[in-house]
Amino acid sequence: MKRTYLINDLVWITFALLVCIGGLKLGFGSFQQPQAGFLPFLAGLLLGLLALMDLASGFKDRWKAAKADKEIWSEINWGKLILTMAVLFVYTVLSSILGFVIGTILLLLFLFRMMEPRPWRIIILASLTTTGLFYLIFQIGLEGQLPRGFWGF
Amino acid sequence: MELINLLMTGFSVVLQPVNLLYCFVGVLIGTMVGVLPGLGPVAAMSLLLPATFHTTPVASIIMLSGIYYGAQYGGSTTSILVNIPGEVASIMTCLDGYQMARQGRAGPALGIAAFGSFIAGTLGVIGLMLIAPPLAEFGLKFGPPDNFSLMVLGLIILTFLTSSSMTRALMMAAFGLILGTIGLDNISNMPRFTFDIPELLDGVGLIPVAMGLFGISEVLLNIEMKIKGEVFTSKVTGLLPTLKDWGQSIWAIFRGTVIGFFLGLIPGGGAMLASFVSYAIEKRVSKHPEAFGKGAIEGVAAPEAANNAGAQASFIPLLTLGIPSNVVMAMLLGALMIHGVTPGPLLLVQHQEIFWGVVASMYLGNILLLLLNLPLIGIWVKLLKVPYSVLFPLIIFFCLTGAYSINNSSIDVVIMLIFGIVGYLMRKISLEPAPLVLAFVLGPMLENALRLSLIKSRGSFAIFFTRPISATCLIVAIALMVVPLLPWLRRPGAVLEKEDTT
Repeated sequence: MKRTYLINDLVWITFALLVCIGGLKLGFGSFQQPQAGFLPFLAGLLLGLLALMDLASGFKDRWKAAKADKEIWSEINWGKLILTMAVLFVYTVLSSILGFVIGTILLLLFLFRMMEPRPWRIIILASLTTTGLFYLIFQIGLEGQLPRGFWGF
Repeated sequence: MELINLLMTGFSVVLQPVNLLYCFVGVLIGTMVGVLPGLGPVAAMSLLLPATFHTTPVASIIMLSGIYYGAQYGGSTTSILVNIPGEVASIMTCLDGYQMARQGRAGPALGIAAFGSFIAGTLGVIGLMLIAPPLAEFGLKFGPPDNFSLMVLGLIILTFLTSSSMTRALMMAAFGLILGTIGLDNISNMPRFTFDIPELLDGVGLIPVAMGLFGISEVLLNIEMKIKGEVFTSKVTGLLPTLKDWGQSIWAIFRGTVIGFFLGLIPGGGAMLASFVSYAIEKRVSKHPEAFGKGAIEGVAAPEAANNAGAQASFIPLLTLGIPSNVVMAMLLGALMIHGVTPGPLLLVQHQEIFWGVVASMYLGNILLLLLNLPLIGIWVKLLKVPYSVLFPLIIFFCLTGAYSINNSSIDVVIMLIFGIVGYLMRKISLEPAPLVLAFVLGPMLENALRLSLIKSRGSFAIFFTRPISATCLIVAIALMVVPLLPWLRRPGAVLEKEDTT
């Protein structure tokens, strides 16, 4: 049995159940007068039933042919992945405080360096050029509304 | 005669400098994303959609359409030179295209791919022009039950054609429907699943969802998976196919065009299915099937023609019935809605300039693509050499700023990042994002059609089976769901996978 697929189906079943409850709370109405919760309930029910079917067919045969758990997850560079996502979330928050220009320069410095360690002068130049060009085109040229932060840019 | 006049109206629209510029930018970007493996037209369209907010609906659709059919051209370059499909509809081109390149015939392979694409693309536009108006008239007969059943059929066909299990594809469609219900209920105005977040009252935006699922998740996958593949040759010569090459390819191109066009019309179909089926058929009708996979020029010509004809034909259900047949068309539907234009039978009457402008732009776009893909092939070869360590940070950056610029709100960025993680995990466990996005876009329309039908029929589901159009759609949908349960009938996905491996 492959734990990944089992967990996946259980997550979907739980989610479907929550959606069904949410749908009922919104009001199912009746078939003559469907209310706001009508489709969410039906879609949740469908999702739950399908996840149950998937679970059943997995027990029966599919998991035998599926990739092993180890095979699916071992190739992931967790450190790099989590760090990238964390930096992106932090950028979302920080760019409204530091402003688009400084936030983006810092972000690009990180991304360029993380993807492939190159000499810092190349990375700094690439980050400054990209940010500068983008700022000129979208903020000044197209009068966009990029985050300004407390520096004003 | 009226058709010619309308087409002339279309040309007068597309020849306006701004529209011409958007057409050029669209096909240029389309070729670029087609050439670059790992970045498809959906990701590119979602990235660029915010940039079209300030322009007219017609310019926006001209550019986004150009990205789609431009990607079909560009995809062949990577397939032939690197043996990696630049985009999913070019998978079949790898089989013989790369073999031709290894035999020193990269030039004719690229040439026939471009000419085949041009012929099929142009014939596809003529087909679109001839079929769309009568189909739109027919579409006026559609009521809510027919619309509901047609949308259900589209979703079922898409899930039927996905390579993974149909149950899992349907699960994703159900998830998409649930996501589509977030926000204010269309009929009662009651907030649904908004968790008191005011930004969610308008629902979850298509752009952050698509950018996350297709853009961010793609980059995350590629962080761990180094794309290996060397450009086979850096100097491509002899792009013009010889008379012998033309003799071998011309019927393959025409067959590919016809197959591609009709498969593109089917909801759930499109360029990818067209290229798979046309390659399989070409191999069957060939006098020397053993040459396929070893550098047969027909093996390049047929799928390339089919994917272009399929791409053009898939515009027909969207523009005439208002129903997107695949995820790319769902993006276009989203774009039209953002601009306040509702696609459907009335589009041809109320927004003639959009329909005919887009049709005319396709003629022009095909010519531009031929010019971009043959004389400028050297540029695309150079682009293939840009390291991914440079490209991916830029894609992430464009996704972030693109999502922010929709409403100048960080919430959209957060939604995009969340869907980036969701999309990444989904791909790791073989859950496909395409049915999710299609169902997400169709969800609100499908819900309205279902509720209106039931109110009209006083709760009787018989309404879906007493109307001929609706009944036909549902019978086909049910048949497609039953097929995988019958062991002696294979799904085409499975057949095509087998074909691919042989």
